[in-house]
Amino acid sequence: MDAAGHGGEEGPVTVTRCHVTTGFFVLGRCGQAAAASCARCVRPVCAAHAGPGGLCPECAAAQGYGTHDPHEPSWTAGYRRHYYQSSSHAYADATWYASFDEYDRGAFDPGDDYAHGGDWGPDDDTGFVDS
Amino acid sequence: MRVVHGGGAGHRAAYVAFDRFPSSKGSAVHIAQMADELFTRFGGGLLAVIGGADLPRYQREGTREVARFDTPVPNLIDRAEAFSRWVAGHLEPHRDTLEVCHVRDPWSALPAVADGRRHRVLYEVNGLPSIEMAHTWPWAAPGTLAKIRDLERFCLERSDAVVVPSAVIGAAVRRFGVPETKIHLVPNGAEVPGPAERPVDAPERYIVYVGALQPWQGLDVLMRAFARLADLDGLRLVVCASVPERRAKPVRRLAERLGIADRVDWRFTLPHSEVAAWLAHAEVSVAPLTGCARNLDQGCAPLKVIESMAAGVPVVASDLPAVRELMADGVHGRLVPADRPAELARAVRILLEYPDEAAAMGRRGRERVERGLTWARSRALLAEVYRTIAPSDR
Repeated sequence: MDAAGHGGEEGPVTVTRCHVTTGFFVLGRCGQAAAASCARCVRPVCAAHAGPGGLCPECAAAQGYGTHDPHEPSWTAGYRRHYYQSSSHAYADATWYASFDEYDRGAFDPGDDYAHGGDWGPDDDTGFVDS
Repeated sequence: MRVVHGGGAGHRAAYVAFDRFPSSKGSAVHIAQMADELFTRFGGGLLAVIGGADLPRYQREGTREVARFDTPVPNLIDRAEAFSRWVAGHLEPHRDTLEVCHVRDPWSALPAVADGRRHRVLYEVNGLPSIEMAHTWPWAAPGTLAKIRDLERFCLERSDAVVVPSAVIGAAVRRFGVPETKIHLVPNGAEVPGPAERPVDAPERYIVYVGALQPWQGLDVLMRAFARLADLDGLRLVVCASVPERRAKPVRRLAERLGIADRVDWRFTLPHSEVAAWLAHAEVSVAPLTGCARNLDQGCAPLKVIESMAAGVPVVASDLPAVRELMADGVHGRLVPADRPAELARAVRILLEYPDEAAAMGRRGRERVERGLTWARSRALLAEVYRTIAPSDR
């Protein structure tokens, strides 16, 4: 629940709640009364979560790592190419990141419900191995 | 909780896993315990995992930071490599301060074991993709799997310590040429839960399966076994699947063919605490793992067996070396030959017919967990490994 109405002398007052996701294994919303909004994503944040620069913790953490836009049409191929170049450059290793050819990769394409491997969606398990 | 702000650079520890976190899967429980121990030892750290759905891309909890890779790349190898690169980018800001990087798979390990690092790498091997992917991706050519095996060997050789949850997996790692001294056994654990309320929609009498639905879990064997228990009036099978509903399609079709679909109740992606309640009130918990290469050569450390024992439920499981490490036949439940529905059905039937003995097995299972299979013990063992490879741990 994002907002709560409270009856008072001056009629209902809507309190905007802090939207920051909290928790480690069990996630939840902070839910404290918001004191500001994030300078980047504009979501409401409480006093404890409003950081210097007016950023919420998520945007503040993201700032340290840069971002990428996956919505470019040729993104996957470009990403991979860039990846080979930068990784082989960074690790002086042209082997590992380029060892899987198209034939190798083909076996790991998602199929439909009838294909081995099954479909793949945003709610899918992603690990290689499972207990 | 204290909320820390700033650039986020300067972590001393990082935990990297190509797994969604949090999730309802057993691996998430494992990651939560291991990462929590790491971050406790090193005053916080970076958890780099898979995100997606509604999970935020970044999260900061005090000195802990969670970064989630959520780029939708459909092909698994493409996705793994994209993840690998993303990990490299996320370790980079911490290069000067990082002391320990804990990884769970080769694509997480690759950026961590790079040349010129000053940090130590702990590789936690819960499974070997070169073996397991032959089951999940049957169209992968032997040559492709050999390449994955080379990749695993490369990462294992370069890691400073290897942690395995079972001796069988330890043996599989030794076959890569990893020296014995580098391999540390840190078994999985469970918390012994307090009394759990019976789920409101729980049937009167049921046996339970908890876990994912991959072929090696042996759900088909369980379904065939359950078909042989049709004479037991009112007995139902509850499947608490850790994966989304559409993954259950093949098993459900089998249940229909066997004529037992109306006696099977399905629950999907339940929170861990609710699964504990379903376990606690079951007559028997079943772990029908198949006798395939994934379970035998690679090994496994089925959390469901430990969690069932912790809940005080007798377990009927396949008699595999990895399972024998956790429970004993006739003591904590029954071990039956893998892939034999008739044997599985008979063992379940006997436990149902001797409820006092079954209850005693459940109690002994719980004692077994309390004595030697708690997460606290696993974490103490893991902390010891951290101390070995990074003596500056404080």
